[in-house]
Amino acid sequence: MSNSLLNRLLLVAALAVAYVGVPLLFGGNAYVLGLIVAALTIAGVAVAWALLGNLGGMVSFGHAAFFGVGSYTSAVLAMKLGVPVFAAMLLGGVGAALSSIAMLPALRLRGPYFALAILAYAHIFQILATEMTPVTGGAGGLLSIPRFPKILGFDFGEKLGGYLIVLTIVVLAAFAYDAIRRSTWGLALKAMHDTEVATRVVGVPSTHLKAAMLVLSAFITGVVGAFNAHFISFLDPDYAFSSGWTVLPIAAAIFGGYRTVWGPVVGALAIYLVDQLLFKPILPHGHQMVLGVLLCAMILFSPGGLMPALRRRPVKESRHAHA
Amino acid sequence: MFELTLQALFSGLLAGGYYATVAVGLALVFGTMRVINLAHGELVLLAAYVAYAAETTYGVNPVMAIPVALVIVGAASAIVYALLSRIHQDREINSLILTFGLGIILTNAILSIWKADIHSTSDPWFQDSMVVADTLFAMNAEVASFVGGLVLMAGVWWWLNHSWQGRAVRALSSNRAAATLMGVNPRRIEILSFLTAALLATFAGFAIYTGKTVFPALGHVLTVKAFIITVLAGMGSIPGVLVGAVMIGVIESLTVTYLSASLQELAGMVLFLVVLFVSPSGLFGGGRALAR
Repeated sequence: MSNSLLNRLLLVAALAVAYVGVPLLFGGNAYVLGLIVAALTIAGVAVAWALLGNLGGMVSFGHAAFFGVGSYTSAVLAMKLGVPVFAAMLLGGVGAALSSIAMLPALRLRGPYFALAILAYAHIFQILATEMTPVTGGAGGLLSIPRFPKILGFDFGEKLGGYLIVLTIVVLAAFAYDAIRRSTWGLALKAMHDTEVATRVVGVPSTHLKAAMLVLSAFITGVVGAFNAHFISFLDPDYAFSSGWTVLPIAAAIFGGYRTVWGPVVGALAIYLVDQLLFKPILPHGHQMVLGVLLCAMILFSPGGLMPALRRRPVKESRHAHA
Repeated sequence: MFELTLQALFSGLLAGGYYATVAVGLALVFGTMRVINLAHGELVLLAAYVAYAAETTYGVNPVMAIPVALVIVGAASAIVYALLSRIHQDREINSLILTFGLGIILTNAILSIWKADIHSTSDPWFQDSMVVADTLFAMNAEVASFVGGLVLMAGVWWWLNHSWQGRAVRALSSNRAAATLMGVNPRRIEILSFLTAALLATFAGFAIYTGKTVFPALGHVLTVKAFIITVLAGMGSIPGVLVGAVMIGVIESLTVTYLSASLQELAGMVLFLVVLFVSPSGLFGGGRALAR
């Protein structure tokens, strides 16, 4: 009981720091804010990935597809049809969710095959974005995508505004993840993870639930992608569908522990900042290698993520003390 | 028009030969360990870059680089196996993520050693064209790799069907527990399948370097392609994989000839999706169904 109360207090404190502390501390520092916004963008995708991986039991190597579709949908709607940017961003998520419906037949495939099928889908969407030149601008990309507007005198197009938007997206995504995990859906999904056949036998529509997780995960990823498009105001297919949008979130989610709700967020902040500040200057080409090493090390030594690994240590030590 | 189609079919057939050598390696490892090695394409790429390094740095013929590449790729494959065999918890998901991570490491290692440039052999013999029939042309390298690949796969096929070890590989694939009870040492057979996959990957790498072009991002593409082929074949036999590979090769070359080169990758994937919709256990139904 007191543990959950403590967790809740921690969460409130963390949110207070994120919404009040960070703007006060770094509000004037565009460089630091830019880094944090990029890290939170990764965090948003990592939460969506973890939702699918943990609740749906499906590893996706194709989240770059949802990210790209979301960003293009939103950018094109805002540029060609004049849809207001915030509405376009949500519609970007809807676009990504629709694109995930094309992936539903892949749900017939079990774990590893699903993972690879979705990898193939990501390729398809990248090729389509490059080929559909009239809509997407082709390989040349889209320039000067509308930025977020001014509302009540506050400019959301600035770095600080962007920070608040992406922070809100990530927080809402994490809350949604948590709410689903606690609901009966979450219970059914957890049961499915243990034994899918038995769960189906007692009447749980397992395929529908998995499909719902896929669509929701795609929606969140699409919204994050759309946010990114309006924030940086530029898109091209190689960037929007870059494998980085798959690799970084996976590394982040695994590092932070994808079976927890806030693990992916913490992991994304840690990994992105360390990668950008430490490894990129040392290894300008191929600094993703470090992510690969990290990913392998986590899987081999602590598949549950960093938080369980930290929690485990004191237990081991106390055992030694008793022995 | 007819000649063009014929040429496209022929080129597709030749490409299918080397696709098959990549895919058979993937399928073999999948059979014994129930793991899709996402770093398999990167192993192929590693072999290709060893051939490139041998040619540019030491001026030796790429053929001479094969033994060296075999040792390096074999060692890399053994490392992949050693790491994979340490995973016990949530094996399916964790081994996928592990090999995905290993693939990232290999791609970026190649990227930082050899940069992102596109390379191909500078030996003129490989690039020379050969008139096969009236109007059918191919590069020497393509024909040599196709024939070599067929011989190699025939060898592996014979080994799987007629040697004790080969039978042990198949036994382990069809029923692990029973095979182990019959005296098959699973670890030995697993590592054997990884080394055989490395042999096939080395040859495929050589074929790509001499007949096509190599660049760091290719490994990923090859893994996906090999996976698509094994899905088409229904993870069945070597002949099944060969048919699937030739099919992908032909569809790609027809797309390049009649539509656009940039749509090449798309063609195979669309076929893959159609198969997924219509018959998820593969086109030939045989073998082990992938889907429920």
